[in-house]
Amino acid sequence: MPEVFFETSGRRVSFPEGEEVNLLRLSLRHGCGVPWRCASGNCGTDRLLIVEGREYLSPIRRRERDRLGELAEQGYRLSCQTYTSGDVTVRWDPNQKGLDEESVAGQRLKARWLGGGEDPDSSVVDQHCLLDDPATADKV
Amino acid sequence: MAGLLGELEFREALENAMKGTMARDASFSRAWAAGKLQRHHFVKWVTNHYHYVGPFGDYLGLMYAKTPDTARDAKDFLLQNLYEEELADDRHTDLLIRFAEACGGTRADVMDRRNALPSTLGIQGWLYYISANEHFAVSTAATIVGLESQVPSIYRTQYPVLIDPNGYGFSEWECEFFDLHITSDEVHGERGYQIVLRYADTPELQQRCIEIVKEAANMRFFYTKQLYEYYVKPDLGEWVEEPVLSGASA
Repeated sequence: MPEVFFETSGRRVSFPEGEEVNLLRLSLRHGCGVPWRCASGNCGTDRLLIVEGREYLSPIRRRERDRLGELAEQGYRLSCQTYTSGDVTVRWDPNQKGLDEESVAGQRLKARWLGGGEDPDSSVVDQHCLLDDPATADKV
Repeated sequence: MAGLLGELEFREALENAMKGTMARDASFSRAWAAGKLQRHHFVKWVTNHYHYVGPFGDYLGLMYAKTPDTARDAKDFLLQNLYEEELADDRHTDLLIRFAEACGGTRADVMDRRNALPSTLGIQGWLYYISANEHFAVSTAATIVGLESQVPSIYRTQYPVLIDPNGYGFSEWECEFFDLHITSDEVHGERGYQIVLRYADTPELQQRCIEIVKEAANMRFFYTKQLYEYYVKPDLGEWVEEPVLSGASA
């Protein structure tokens, strides 16, 4: 049977030959410790470095490519978006956080909240605001 | 009444409760996967699906209110799921309507409640009832295990023919609703199982969860089957490969 080796946590999970399994679902079900926050490829918290077995993975999705940016070229995948049909070894930083602000998808989200345009891809804007220094009464 | 089931046994009972009435096996789903439907059928599907899943945020919000703060992980899951439905990126109902528009439908017609079948309004009302009145483990079993966890198995058979240039030839952008849910509902479904396995901690609650999963599967199966009966049968005639419905009296 094919096996997914979650190198960072040392867990190995096998699955039936001929099936395709979602990497994040497998991790959740078997307590393999991949960090995650959302399930839609939005946050990027669940990114994995594919150490071995890239050839068994499902093709990269648009949402995944948008979120990962250059990390995709460096061999990373989002576990929530990725299925495997064969042996694969994956690794991650157990303290890693989301990529929300750094990618094309993050810019699109930012545009939606700050730009308010109908077409998010053409309305990416930066908006800045200046806050007053805290008053004495605010300091502990 | 059975005693308290072990985790594996309970999970297996939940999975078995859906067997025989999985929505992917309903006539409408099979005709879709076989490439038999026409675009105007898809518009009708979107219209009804909108009134089934459009209020999903409402269902989750009602469940959130009934989940105690001692089950913080369950509350957080509901909130995250709600956020993903509505705000994390494109609103999921907008993705659904995008597909309808690609098929020649309009947002106004999709959103008009009068265009939904009675069976669709039935599953919507059932979901409001379950979400507002049942123990949160039971409503999670119904909405997440019984309904949402089925989604990848349905769309994985329906999506390929949509984007196949020799099939319907839709673009990936037009069909993003399906691709998104194939992956996200894998994870949501799994978390749903975990919450039910953890918080249905008495024999009575476990049995109620098993019953409600069977009920949910039946609701979704009938909802899907009715789409064929009402919209497709006049065009294609009787569909002949359907499973025997389990657990339902005439």
